Amino acid sequence: MTAVREVVDFKAIKIGDALPDLRKTVTVEQIRAYAAASGDRNPIHLDDEFARRAGLPGVIAHGMLTMAFVNQLVTDWLGSRGAVRSLQGRFAGMVLPGDEVRCTGTVLNKDDSRRRITLSLGAANQRGERVFTKGVAEAEV
Amino acid sequence: MGRTYETEPFEVTAESIRAYMNAVGDTRVEPDLVAPPTYAMVYGFDAYWQLWSDKEVALDTAHLVHGEQSFTYHRPVRPGDLLKTTGRIAGISARGNMEFVTFDLSAKDAGDQPVSEASALFIIRTP
Repeated sequence: MTAVREVVDFKAIKIGDALPDLRKTVTVEQIRAYAAASGDRNPIHLDDEFARRAGLPGVIAHGMLTMAFVNQLVTDWLGSRGAVRSLQGRFAGMVLPGDEVRCTGTVLNKDDSRRRITLSLGAANQRGERVFTKGVAEAEV
Repeated sequence: MGRTYETEPFEVTAESIRAYMNAVGDTRVEPDLVAPPTYAMVYGFDAYWQLWSDKEVALDTAHLVHGEQSFTYHRPVRPGDLLKTTGRIAGISARGNMEFVTFDLSAKDAGDQPVSEASALFIIRTP
């Protein structure tokens, strides 16, 4: 889908608000495209045999691809006038080709004087296993 | 500990930002193209690569997993920016068969002004 995103209205944001979920089904092609675009061509992301020798079930997605999904959850919600000031989190589980990653977020805090919003973020796979935890972003709206 | 790695100046292009966004599946269209925050991993990538390839530090990259990541941003990144990233090993520790490496990064623009900072935690599990 291609759309010009709407700008989030600062006044209407309330602590506890949930961001619209973002779902992504990861494919081998997407992992390859991410490797090419990011420069990270570590063979555990590209070569099944190498990944298996390293003790993995096969190629795995880059943790940073999952974090990029979480990032998109924030920027989709924020719209073009908001700026992300910080973003952090923990890679809690592997993401494999075919997995559906569901990214979620809620408004943790709102600072009216600085027009800053703090978000709590996470991501889980289709079995509900958490793959990204302790996610926090701070944005200026 | 304390070893540093510096990238060559990375020229941010609209093509590079779009390739990154397409790979992520972020298809938004905006009149003013701004790099997504996690694009800091792209312009800083060579610093990570130098760390992983450093034969003296000799990290076992086949068994290296990305444990945690954080970023702070001073300003948006746009096509035309020329960014240089410096990475520094901030800590190495071991527990059981696991080794933990903390890598701190700082990116500056052509005018030597700060653009972003990052910190990565890598975990190496010895089989």
